[in-house]
Amino acid sequence: MLLTGIAFYIFAAVLVAAAVMVISAKNPVHSVLYLIVCFFNAAGLFVLMGAEFVAMILVIVYVGAVAVLFLFVVMMLDINFQELRQGFLQYLPIGGLIGLVLAIELLLIVGTWVIAPETSAVAAAPSPAIDAVTNTEALGRIMYTQYVYAFQASGLILLVAMIGAIVLTLRSREGVRKQSITQQVQRKREEVLAVRKVPTRGGV
Amino acid sequence: MGEIWTTYGFPGVIIVAQILAVTVPLLIAVAYMVYAERKVLAMMQLRQGPNLVGPWGLLQSFADALKMIGKEMIIPAGANRVVFIFAPVLTMVLALVAWAVIPFDLGWVIADINVGILYLFAISSLGVYGIIMAGWASNSKYAFLGSLRSAAQMVSYEVSIGLVIITVLLCVGSLNLTDIIVAQSGAGGFWGWFFVPLFPMFVIFFISALAETNRAPFDLPEGESELVGGFHTEYSGMTFGLFFLGEYANMILMSAMTTVLFLGGWLPPLEMAPFTWIPGPVWFVLKIAFCLFVFIWVRATLPRYRYDQLMRLGWKVFLPFSLIWVVLTAGVLVAFGWLPD
Amino acid sequence: MVAMPDLLPALPELFLACAGMLLLMIGVFRGEGSLRLVSWLAVGALLVTGVLLVLGPTERTVTFSGLFVSDSFAVFAKLLVLTATALTIILSQRYLETEQLARFEYPVLLVFATLGMMGMISANDLIALYVGLELQSLSLYVIAAFKRDFAKSSEAGLKYFVLGALSSGMLLYGASLVYGFAGTTNFDALAALFAAGETPAVGVIVGMVFVAAGLAFKISAVPFHMWTPDVYEGAPTSVTAFFAVAPKIAAITLFIRVLVDPFGDLLAQWQQVIWFCAVASMILGSLAAIQQSNIKRLMAYSSIGHIGYALVGLAAGTEAGVRGVLIYMAIYLAMNVGTFAIILSMRVQGRMVEEIRDLSGLSKSHPMMALAMAIFMWSMAGVPPAAGFFGKFYVFMAAVDAGLIVLAVIGVITSVVSCYYYLRIIKVMYFDDLTEPLERPSRAASLVIAGTALFTFPVFFIFSNAILTGAATAAASLFQ
Repeated sequence: MLLTGIAFYIFAAVLVAAAVMVISAKNPVHSVLYLIVCFFNAAGLFVLMGAEFVAMILVIVYVGAVAVLFLFVVMMLDINFQELRQGFLQYLPIGGLIGLVLAIELLLIVGTWVIAPETSAVAAAPSPAIDAVTNTEALGRIMYTQYVYAFQASGLILLVAMIGAIVLTLRSREGVRKQSITQQVQRKREEVLAVRKVPTRGGV
Repeated sequence: MGEIWTTYGFPGVIIVAQILAVTVPLLIAVAYMVYAERKVLAMMQLRQGPNLVGPWGLLQSFADALKMIGKEMIIPAGANRVVFIFAPVLTMVLALVAWAVIPFDLGWVIADINVGILYLFAISSLGVYGIIMAGWASNSKYAFLGSLRSAAQMVSYEVSIGLVIITVLLCVGSLNLTDIIVAQSGAGGFWGWFFVPLFPMFVIFFISALAETNRAPFDLPEGESELVGGFHTEYSGMTFGLFFLGEYANMILMSAMTTVLFLGGWLPPLEMAPFTWIPGPVWFVLKIAFCLFVFIWVRATLPRYRYDQLMRLGWKVFLPFSLIWVVLTAGVLVAFGWLPD
Repeated sequence: MVAMPDLLPALPELFLACAGMLLLMIGVFRGEGSLRLVSWLAVGALLVTGVLLVLGPTERTVTFSGLFVSDSFAVFAKLLVLTATALTIILSQRYLETEQLARFEYPVLLVFATLGMMGMISANDLIALYVGLELQSLSLYVIAAFKRDFAKSSEAGLKYFVLGALSSGMLLYGASLVYGFAGTTNFDALAALFAAGETPAVGVIVGMVFVAAGLAFKISAVPFHMWTPDVYEGAPTSVTAFFAVAPKIAAITLFIRVLVDPFGDLLAQWQQVIWFCAVASMILGSLAAIQQSNIKRLMAYSSIGHIGYALVGLAAGTEAGVRGVLIYMAIYLAMNVGTFAIILSMRVQGRMVEEIRDLSGLSKSHPMMALAMAIFMWSMAGVPPAAGFFGKFYVFMAAVDAGLIVLAVIGVITSVVSCYYYLRIIKVMYFDDLTEPLERPSRAASLVIAGTALFTFPVFFIFSNAILTGAATAAASLFQ
């Protein structure tokens, strides 16, 4: 599979490069745009794996909705980038140190990558063969049966997030005149229109 | 060498040919869409419309295109050059790549993927980036305000489009566009198309499509009385031309989506002799043309919405209504055992 | 068609979820001024949930494909959480009304937070653990910033949110490592895997430590405590009262379940981590609290210290240790709710005060309240014969039995040190001159103060048997 291989390396390389640009770009709007490139390439990788549903949902949810809102906020902020960067060098040593420790840990883990032989026996949800069912169906099958509890709980989490956003931001302003559509529609001609006979030179 | 040619070269050529076979007619269709819009609007307003370039003005669009290419491309000082030029390109590219999954007839499709409808939805939800990037990169307040409006508008109406698509999917049981059209076929002809059982959803989808393509009466992003040209105020020459082409290509795309989801795609309206003689792609194009006509008709008829009314319609009317309809559809399908397998 | 999962073990949660959404609807349709109604309905819903819990199955039942477990350990902890929430809602009403915070979302969010806690307590899978934790945390972030027009409250909410997100990230990172190396997220399957006796992969242990770190943040154990004082001080007082009790109980129960259930056979690997957290929390809790003048900050450090003592029981890793923690948390609940009921009643001429010196001369203006406060402080310091002593006693005994003698000794020393600031409050109340008398506490607050004070001192002995056996059965159910 030469093409798949080439596609994989292109997606992966662009993904990593864009991820580096997300944190190193000077302009935050560019950072967000690079983030979008990241999402795209991640979606591409999912497609290569045969997980087309996840790939599309990644694009729809993250690129189509989340990143748009992100971009909105970043574009409207008036940030002084020089000021933001001032602390950067100061925190670089400690940040770098933590990063290094995590990287070493990761390397160690990868180095000792052993999966216990029993694991395949206890695997939570073995995935069915790709050609047996489409992966939309396969996902749906376990999401609404095995993981229905987590699914419903996630729904509640989103509900709470919605309540939270409304509680913390909604203010009903006094003295604003709002359009009341029912009122507009209920108006009758007799109430607002009167035909008068105006005598010449008499005025109303 | 020969093996590489048979595994990669030959299929590659076929794919390129397929792509050209879709995009070239599409671009011509865009040109005539512009012409048709001007003509139809003129008729509805008792005017003549373009009538000088070529017979009945038929070559008007090509003259316009030549003019656009010949004009200077001005990049404002203080604009973000790369993003500024990338934005119209993105808009145009997105309007074209979506056609990869549209089936013109049984099997007449470039990529018959399992999640076709999600692909379409994803691509159409990306359209907003071209506009946001254009507005931001122009470094102009009119363009910026226009792009913010447009982004908010598109995100809002995408929600109801998504719910409408879900109702259709419930009735089909597949995300594949060909399957969606096949599910609408039957002896009853157009009685089996989804616009009949899901009529309210059909209406919502079409109105949302108007909003999604920033067309009248939802063309606030470029409301010329307040925002000059909206997000493309600063664009000129071919950069503007790409936005222009992208907008019309998107209209055609949304009409194609309406056709696939609700109007039975390539299916003839009645399964009997004179109708079945006409090949499927012709029916498909005719249905798209009908939808496009309605687009223009709406533009000629309705005044522009105010921004708060637009948001109210999207969030307070369409969203709850389509949500209720999803529940209702699912309930009916389960209760009567009509669920597709 | 797939068979429906057995809903009976999760009936209390299902009821509470429906009740929460119903309360939301009632609040929305009644509009302004529905706080009182929604609050009392929420308390009613919590009561019904408690009854359902008690009537529910007591033996260990697993449902929802192994994501959810119900056993007497869970029932015990859930009852504590429900009590804490119900009492906080009752106490909050007057505070919210006088502070212009009377909005119906408050009790609704508390109900959802409680639901999240119940999900945490009953989690039998890393995924269930995470969704429960997030449901709880998200509600808490919002109510921490509930006083949205005050910078301090918004700061508290934001700080809590940012650090909470960080800890969730750590937890998820750990969980993904565990899943990657063990191939499952289910607690039973994990336990079976480790019980097989093979040395687990390094990845599993690193993952477990990350999960533990994420949970340690939620119970504010040192070194993950930094947010606690600021959030306690900045959040509205009634919210602080809630933070100090219910989430702590839920998180520590979850912590116990995670460490004992799936990772029980890795005791040697996690014991030292818990040992360190316990010692550091006890020391910091007792030393840092000494210089505090704000009573909410003081309570924050006090809660860090208490978590340290509770972790001593967990570090033992035995059934007796877990029993000790459960008893400790039950007593902690009573002491803290009572103390916060008094703090919520600290009003002078219509405004809230929260400095320790505002309590001066309390014994002259409100002798009964001062007595109650004295009992709470006595108990928190762990001086016999107050209930707090027994809490510490069982925990330390378990540690000694498990051979953690150094830990127990450090615990005793730090609790002697912490006596200083607890007793200082008693001194301020009884021996300092009265400056401005506090206003009369509301009837609900008086009742709660009296009830919890009586529980902390004499009544505990009458019921001690019931609580001890309850905790013992609960602990035993975990170690089956």
